[in-house]
Amino acid sequence: MAVPQQYEFFIDPNRCIGCQSCVQACGECDTHKGHPMIHLEYVDRPFSVQTAPVVCMHCESPTCAEVCPADAIKKTEDGVVQTARKPRCIGCSNCVLSCPFGVPKMKTELELMMKCDMCYDRTSVGKKPMCATVCPSQALFFGTREEIERLRPRSVPTNRFQFGRQTITTKVNMMVPSFSENMVVDVTAAMNEPPVDQSFDMEALAVSDFEF
Amino acid sequence: MQEKVKATVWGFCVMGLLAAAIVFGSRNLAHFDAALVGYTFAVLFATFGITYRYSMWLQRPPTAMYWKRGWQLFLQPAFLAGNLVHWVRKVTVDFAFNRFIFNRGKGRWGAHWLIMWGCVLATAITFPLVFGWIHFQTEPGNLEWYRTYVFGFPTFAFPVHSILGFLIFHGLVWASFLVIAGVMLAMRRRMKDHGAAAVQQFGEDFLPLILLFAVSVTGLMLTASYSWMRGQGYEFLSLLHAITVIFTLLWLPFGKFFHIFQRPAQLGVSFYKRVGGLETQAHCARCKEPFASLLHVTDLMTVQQQLGYKYEIENGPTDHYQHICPACRRRMLAIAQGRMWNR
Amino acid sequence: MATLPVSLENITEHFGPHLARSLGNRLATGVEPDKTVATHCCFCGMQCGIHLKVKDNQVIGFEPREDFPFNRGMLCPKGVKRYLQGAHPDRLVTALERDPNSPGGFRPMEYEKALDRVAAEIKRIQEKYGRDAFAVLSGASLTSEKTYLMGKFARLALKTANIDYNGRLCMVSAGAGNKKAFGVDRAANPWSDIPKAEVIWISGSNVAECFPITTDYVWQARENGAKIIVVDPRITPIARTCNLFLPVKPGRDIALFNGILHLMIENDWLDHRFIEQHTVGFEALAEHVSQWNPKRTSDVTGIAEKSIRQAAEWWGTAKSSFLMHARGIEHHSHGVQNVLGAINIVLASGRIGREGCGYATITGQGNGQGGREHGQKCDQLPGGRDISNPDHRAYVAKVWGVEADEIPKAGVDAYEIFREIDRGNIHGLLSICFNPKVSLPDSDFITRALEKLDFYVAIDFFLNETAHHADVVLPGSLHEEDEGVVAQVEGRVIRINKVVEPPGDARADWTIIQDIAHRLDCRKGFSFANPGEIFEELRVASKGGTCDYSGITYEKIEKQNGVFWPCPSEDHPGTLRMFEPGSWNPIAKGAGPFYFPDGKARFNVAPYTPPTEDVDADYPVILTTGRVVSHFLSGSQTRRIGPLVDQYSEPRLELHPKLAEKYGISDGDQVTVESRRSSIQLPAHVVTTIRPDTVFVPYHWAGRQSINRLTISAQDPISKIPEYKVCAVRIKKGLRTED
Repeated sequence: MAVPQQYEFFIDPNRCIGCQSCVQACGECDTHKGHPMIHLEYVDRPFSVQTAPVVCMHCESPTCAEVCPADAIKKTEDGVVQTARKPRCIGCSNCVLSCPFGVPKMKTELELMMKCDMCYDRTSVGKKPMCATVCPSQALFFGTREEIERLRPRSVPTNRFQFGRQTITTKVNMMVPSFSENMVVDVTAAMNEPPVDQSFDMEALAVSDFEF
Repeated sequence: MQEKVKATVWGFCVMGLLAAAIVFGSRNLAHFDAALVGYTFAVLFATFGITYRYSMWLQRPPTAMYWKRGWQLFLQPAFLAGNLVHWVRKVTVDFAFNRFIFNRGKGRWGAHWLIMWGCVLATAITFPLVFGWIHFQTEPGNLEWYRTYVFGFPTFAFPVHSILGFLIFHGLVWASFLVIAGVMLAMRRRMKDHGAAAVQQFGEDFLPLILLFAVSVTGLMLTASYSWMRGQGYEFLSLLHAITVIFTLLWLPFGKFFHIFQRPAQLGVSFYKRVGGLETQAHCARCKEPFASLLHVTDLMTVQQQLGYKYEIENGPTDHYQHICPACRRRMLAIAQGRMWNR
Repeated sequence: MATLPVSLENITEHFGPHLARSLGNRLATGVEPDKTVATHCCFCGMQCGIHLKVKDNQVIGFEPREDFPFNRGMLCPKGVKRYLQGAHPDRLVTALERDPNSPGGFRPMEYEKALDRVAAEIKRIQEKYGRDAFAVLSGASLTSEKTYLMGKFARLALKTANIDYNGRLCMVSAGAGNKKAFGVDRAANPWSDIPKAEVIWISGSNVAECFPITTDYVWQARENGAKIIVVDPRITPIARTCNLFLPVKPGRDIALFNGILHLMIENDWLDHRFIEQHTVGFEALAEHVSQWNPKRTSDVTGIAEKSIRQAAEWWGTAKSSFLMHARGIEHHSHGVQNVLGAINIVLASGRIGREGCGYATITGQGNGQGGREHGQKCDQLPGGRDISNPDHRAYVAKVWGVEADEIPKAGVDAYEIFREIDRGNIHGLLSICFNPKVSLPDSDFITRALEKLDFYVAIDFFLNETAHHADVVLPGSLHEEDEGVVAQVEGRVIRINKVVEPPGDARADWTIIQDIAHRLDCRKGFSFANPGEIFEELRVASKGGTCDYSGITYEKIEKQNGVFWPCPSEDHPGTLRMFEPGSWNPIAKGAGPFYFPDGKARFNVAPYTPPTEDVDADYPVILTTGRVVSHFLSGSQTRRIGPLVDQYSEPRLELHPKLAEKYGISDGDQVTVESRRSSIQLPAHVVTTIRPDTVFVPYHWAGRQSINRLTISAQDPISKIPEYKVCAVRIKKGLRTED
C-alpha cells in the first residue's frame, strides 16, 4: 500500500494559530501513539503570538537518512521518509542535528529517533494525516493540487528551500504568495528577522492615558 | 569502487581467519563432524558476507566518523576509567536486559528478549560444536560420565544421566523454546498492531520470524524423532533442519539480522555522547542556547561536506547552517514563509 | 449548612481534579474498537462532528468526522482529547451525601434514598418558605431536550419562578440585542457565508482560541480577498495577521461602533434603500452618533484615529461583509448596547439577509443557542416564548395540560438567585451543568451564599467546585452517555448520539429529573421514556414560536446533517439564512423579513457609558478575562484531562512590558493582583501583545487561582450578563504581605 499520488501535503505556517490540535492529534496516530511528532512552538512569544508548525517535509534527498550511521532511515517508494527503523537506530542524534527543518526527535529513554512519517498508517490507506485533518486553521492541508488551487487563490505551492548554499527539494509543499518572484523559501535569510506581526505595534496603536 | 575492493579483501581475510580457526580448533579436523560440513560452509560464506557489508558500512562517512571517534574517545586516558564503567553498565542494561526496548514497549521487549537469548544460547552451543571446537567423550572406564573438550583440551566432566547432563544435552531444546515463544509474541504484535501493520514488509519483518520459527521447530522435531519415535524420519528432518539453518545463515548479511552486528555501534555512540557532554558545547548562532556538543556539530559539518551537502552560508550572520539549533531552524522556516507575504 | 464538609485538600484528594491520561486500551495500537459512533464534541458552540471509538463500554479514542460539513474533520485540542473525560477516576458513579466524617467529605448513598432525601428537603423548604424559596440553576451544555425538561420541571414540579441557567454568563447580551433589533435571537447567517464576504469584522472574539475551527472560515475569506478587521485589547492569534487591528480599551466597544456609524453617515456609506424599506429608527440614531466624531471616538476607545477611519472606510464601502462578535463585547454592564451598536453598523450597511452578507454572535457553549430557546431562562417559555406574555403562557399551558395561571411568573436571573440566597429569600437549590463558584464574578460572595443554603442538591458527573457545598449529589450523565439534540452556533439543530452507557449508578440527567418530579408527586408530564419523546413534545411546544422546531425530526437531522431552525413544518427544509428578502415569519406574517409585526428591523440608540468600575488612582489597571484554547469554561472537565492541562496548566497574568517595568515585574515573577473584592497571586507573563493599560487572566481555574474572585458582579440591566471583561485592579510584584 502506498500514499495515493494525487494527495499531497501543503503547509501554510502563516495561518497557524498555535492551538496545538495537531500536537494533540499527532499522538493519537497508530505509528507513533503517545508520541506527538509534529513540532509547534512560538517564534518569539514575548513579542508575538506567531507559531511555527513543522512536520517532516520528506526531502527528495533526505539529509537525515544520509547522515545516519546505521542506515536506519529509509524512504518508501511513494517518497515518504520513514521514522528510524527500531532495530537499527542507535540513537546518535545525527539526524536530529542535521535535518535542515529541525524535524527528528530524539527519544533518549528509548535510544531511538522518532519523526513524523506522514501518519503512514493513515496515508497509506488513503486517509489524511491526523494533524492536517484536525488543523482548525488548515495551516496543515492534505489534499489534491486541484483543491489547493481552488481554495488558495492568493498563494502557490513550492517545495524548494534554501539553506546557505544548499537547496533542498521536498515532497511536502509550502504555500507562498502567488506574487513571489523567487519560488524558493530562503530560510537562512530569516535568521535575524523578527516575527511577522511587528507591523502591529501595540504601543503605537493603542492610545492610553495611563501614566507609566 | 575502492570501497568494494577493500570490503572484499576484508571479507576474505576474516573468512580465512575463521577457516584457520576451525582447522586449528578442531585439531586439524580430528574432532570435526563431517556431517556438519554444510553448516560450516554456510557459516564461512555468511562470515564473508557480513564482513563485506560491515566494511562497506564502516566506510560510509557518518559511520566512519563514529567508528573513528568512538575508539578515540573510548581510549582517551582521561575518560578511559569512566568509559569502562559506562561500558559495563551499557552491556548489562542495554545488551543483556534490553532496557531501551523495554521502554519502547513491553510486548516488543518480551519478544525480542526471548528471541535474543534463545539465539545467543543456540549459537553458543552449535557453532563450537560445528567447528569442532567442543566435543564430548565418555570417560575412560566409566561410560556413565562425559567429559567436555574445548579446542581439544579436556575440561569438566559430568554424569550422563544427571539433571546437568539432561540440561546440557537438551540445550538447543531450551533455546528453541525461548525462540518460539518470542516469535509467537512478535507475530502476534505484527498481526494486531495497527502501527506495525502500516510499515512492516514481508522480507524485512516476517521472513526473519518465519526463519527462526522454522529453525526451532525442525530442530525440535529432530529431538522428538530420536527421543520418542525411534528416529523415524530422522534423515529427512535433519535435511530439512539443515536447509532452514543454512538459509538463515546465508541471509544474515542481507536482512534484518544484520542489526545484530550493527547494534554494538550504540556503544560507540554512547561514548561519543558521554564525552561530548563533558566537553565544550555548541551554542546556537541564533538563540545562543547550547544544543549539542561542539565536537558533534563540527563532525557533522565534515560528514555533510563529505556527503556533498553545501550548508555553508556565504556573507551571512553565521558561516554554516549547522551552527543553528533545530528549534531555531523551525522558527526560521515559519518566519521565512511569513515574511514572503510582507511585500 | 453548606460549608465545605472537609478541607478543600481532602475533597480534592478524593474527587479531583485528577488527570486522565491515555493508557491501556486508549494507548494500545492493536485494539479493534467494538464500534465507532458519529456524534459531536461536548464543548463549545461549534459542535464539531467527531467519531468516538468504543471498546468495552469505554470511549477509547476518536476519529475525525470528515463527513460533517461544518468542521469537515477539523477539531481543536479539546475535541481531540475529549475522549479522556470518560472512565475517569473522578467520575461520580453513585449518589453522594455530605458527611464530614467520610473521606473526601461525602459518603456514597443509594440512589433511591438520595431521591427520597432530595424530595423531602424540597417539600420542607417550600412548605416553610414558599415555592420560590427553592431555585434551579441549569446549563447550556445540556441537550435541548434536557433544557426543555428543566424549564418544565421548575415550573410544574417545583412550581418555582426561580430557574435560570449559565447562559446568563454567556450569550444573553447578544440574545437581548438581537431580539431588540431583529425580534429573534439566532445567528443570522450560516458560516458558509463567511468566505463569501469582502470584509470580516471580528469584535471581542478570540476566535483562534475560543472557536478554533472558525479560523478556517475567516482565512478562507482572506484567501478570497477579504479584509479582516479585529477589535480586541490583545493581539490574539486571529489578530496577528489581520489587515486592521483595533486595540480597543476594554469596555469601550459601543463608542467604536457609534464612531464607525458616524463616519459611515458622514461619508454616505449607507444603504439608503435598505434603511428606508426594512428598518425603523435610523434618524434618532443618526442624531445620537453625530457626537461621535473620530477624535472623540479615539479618545474614548483608545484606538488611533487613523485606524478608526480606515475601519470605517473598509466597512462602509464593502459590497459584502460578515460581522461577528462574542463575549468580548457582551460581558459588560452595557453588553446589550455594545451588541446593538454592532447591529446598527450592519443594518446601516444593509448587508444582512443575503449570501455573503452576514452577522452573528459566536455562541459559546455546546448548546448555547438551543439552551437559550426552550424555557430554562427565568423569563422564557419553550419556542423562545415570553413568560409574561398571556398568549404565550396560554399556548404552553395547553401543551403541558395545565392552566395558564399554574405557570409561575418570571423569576430572577442566575446571579440574583445568589443575592436572594444571601438575603434569605431562597433556601434550597438544585443545580445541573453549572459551576457558579468558579464561573460567576465576585465569587467569594458566591461561596458565602452557598454556605447559607439550607439544602443544595447537585446533579453532575464530576464533583465540581460548587458541588463541594452540596448536601446531596446525584450522578448524572456525560455528553456521550445520553442522546438528544443541540443547536450549534449557526442555529443548526444536530443530533448528539449515545456512545456508551452511564457507569455504575449514574444515569441520564433527564431520568434523574423525572425521578425527582415523581417523588414530588408530579407524574403527569414527566413520564417520558426517552429523549425522543421529550423532543416530540418540544416540537409541539415550540410550534408557532420564534424558535420553531415543529418541522424538525431526528430522522431529518440525520438525513440533512442538521436542520436550521425555524423549521415550521415537516416538509420545510429549515432556514439556512435569516431575514432573506421575502421570507416569512410568524410575527411579521409576510410584512417583511424581520420578526416584528411590521417586518422591519430596529435601529437602537446605544449610548456609551463607561464600565461600572473604571480605573482610578487606587486601582489603576484594567483587568479583562477570557479563555485559553485548551480549557473550557470553569474547567470542570478540561482540568481533568491531562494533555489539556499540560498545554496550559495554570493561569498567568498577561501584561505589557511597559506596565511590567513600572511595577518592576519580570516574566515568571509571582504577582499579586487585587481588586476591591479579593486578590490572588499568579505568575506574570510579560508580552507586547496586550494593551499597556490592561492585564488579562484566563478564568478556568478554581480556588486560589480563580480570577473570578476579583471580577465585578455588575450586570447589564437588560440581559443581566455580568461585567467579566472589565474591572479595576492593582498589581504588585510578589505575594501579599499579609500572606
